Amino acid sequence: MAAHYFYKSGFHLMKFLTFTGLCLAGVSLSLLAACSNSTPTTQAPSTSTASVDHAGMSHGKKININNALLSELDKLEAKLGIPALSNKIQSSRPYGKSEDLVSKNVINQAQFDQVKEMVTIEEVVLTGEAKDLDYMVKLGLMKGHMYVAKELLALGKPDQAEPHIGHPVEEIYADVEAQLNERGVKEFKKSLMALQELVKAGAKDKAKVDAEFNTSMKAIDGAIAMLPEAQRKSPKFVIQVINGLLDTANSEYGAAVADGKIKEVIEYQDSRGFVQYSSELFKSISSQVKTQSPETAKKMSVALKDLALNWPTAVAPAAPVKTTQQVTKLVKEIETSGQTIN
Amino acid sequence: MVGGAIAWSQRQSLTRSQGTLPQGAVKVPAMAPMNHGEMSHGNSISPMAMLRDFDRGTVTQENGRTVREFKLVAQSGELQLDKANKFITWNLNGRVPAPTLRANEGDRIRVVFQNKGGHAHSLHFHGDHPANMDGIKPVRNGQVFVYEFDAKPFGVHLYHCHVEPVTRHIGKGLYGMFIVDPPTPRPPADELVLIMAGYDVNADRKNELYAFNGIPHYYMHNPIAIQQDQLIRLYVLNMIEFDIAATFHLHANLFTVNQTGRSIAGGSYETDVITMGTAERHILEFKYHETGKFMFHPHQDFMAEAGCMGYFDVIANA
Repeated sequence: MAAHYFYKSGFHLMKFLTFTGLCLAGVSLSLLAACSNSTPTTQAPSTSTASVDHAGMSHGKKININNALLSELDKLEAKLGIPALSNKIQSSRPYGKSEDLVSKNVINQAQFDQVKEMVTIEEVVLTGEAKDLDYMVKLGLMKGHMYVAKELLALGKPDQAEPHIGHPVEEIYADVEAQLNERGVKEFKKSLMALQELVKAGAKDKAKVDAEFNTSMKAIDGAIAMLPEAQRKSPKFVIQVINGLLDTANSEYGAAVADGKIKEVIEYQDSRGFVQYSSELFKSISSQVKTQSPETAKKMSVALKDLALNWPTAVAPAAPVKTTQQVTKLVKEIETSGQTIN
Repeated sequence: MVGGAIAWSQRQSLTRSQGTLPQGAVKVPAMAPMNHGEMSHGNSISPMAMLRDFDRGTVTQENGRTVREFKLVAQSGELQLDKANKFITWNLNGRVPAPTLRANEGDRIRVVFQNKGGHAHSLHFHGDHPANMDGIKPVRNGQVFVYEFDAKPFGVHLYHCHVEPVTRHIGKGLYGMFIVDPPTPRPPADELVLIMAGYDVNADRKNELYAFNGIPHYYMHNPIAIQQDQLIRLYVLNMIEFDIAATFHLHANLFTVNQTGRSIAGGSYETDVITMGTAERHILEFKYHETGKFMFHPHQDFMAEAGCMGYFDVIANA
């Protein structure tokens, strides 16, 4: 699979759990306690028959072996003292249950017994870097959608812009809502939905559309600004965000092209937006990358520029500039180059 | 194009089974294995093989309960619908429709869902389950989500992606049937799955092509061989978006209708045309006493003409 190597980059973000949802649903006192003091807890799938439950509610931070970042898996690697275990765990995904670590020959039973309290396949509450990354990638995807929507609106193509204003609400908002609340971001779903309605109706009142667009965009920027500055300006962090955006762009471009033609304009445009925002993000850290390694800075910058050539216009060109394989290769190059940066 | 469909042969090798069909005295005409037949257009999926292909998952016992684990990977792929139309699918395990998942009522279902599709996707199952397993929360590209719940109630259900616009996510191919067998097995029969779907090939929110089990007109060119006097049990699902409803009509016969498969006793009434809204599904049972070829299709004839029709070929008893 084309996207598989990305898992090695540690770009597998854990999903998070809706604190509020859990608290509302709270039938367990211990869980309510977890909600109130923010102790990370895993989510047990509720079931009428407890016998098959995954050990019920577990307390303390667990590692979701399906989605955890390499840096989190390193805790298991360190505990067991097995070199490159984190990569091995990633490359053997997905797991249906923790015990699959043994059945998939990632570790042996004795080793599993040492770490079984640390791992899970259930959703976990994200913390630290994983949480920030998850949040930033989702907002980055939103921004990419909005960039391409803006271009299409300016070209007088509200019909083509509409899906890209829809995607942030339809695919992403629900998935980031809990974190927005938690980080004190004022909800902006209504603004996105209002914008979508205006554009769906043909974007006839330009001033109104512009105003609503700016409100939504400001809200997304405001949400990004809630991240600690240290993260937003950390080259290592930003490079991981870029990898997440480019991985998605790569998959979407793959779903746009068939028989040497751009068959699906929406996916072409999605991927254009993600690459545009990735390039912008890289510019924001390029001087720091250069300080660490002029060679890496140059490699990444050249590859990103080359990659961007694949999307010459917001309206899809008659023929693709690059093949899907060429795009995949460039995305991989960028990802590999960035690995050395701290 | 990246990703692509998983080769048929490769898919076949996935671990499955345990638990067998009530095959007792059921007569199923021999079908050349792996014969994709005419009109497969080089596609790696075979509607002929899909008919009787039930994925019963990898079965384990955990704390005295039967657990069926299914692995579903969302990705994009290509499907040659007819000579003129190559369609980019969003699919599960390279299949449109997705694998027919099958379990017994009360089994624990564990679906390991991996999204490699680019867009966010999810799996929403019909049937009973807790809210956190309802599959309306998007799973982002590159992520894994494990859905786990009890298989209930028995009947014919479905599963599909529930990310908006659902019309596009389903229309692209992210749907499949989910059969939960009753505690008392249904009588032995030749069991077949037929899923009706529409293809909006030019994104105008109207369907230009229709199909049973993925490929338009397939069963017209590759009739489904069934045995004379054999009880046939059809699991039929209407998964057509944009059109409000579709019927299923069978030629030269009547069938009994077991609504949503919720009766163990069998169908409650007889007809030769049953109307189904989108996502509606039933068990239809019948036998053919005459031999020869008999058509089936929605009696919205524009749908039939645009690909949603096929033949049963009733083979004489020796």
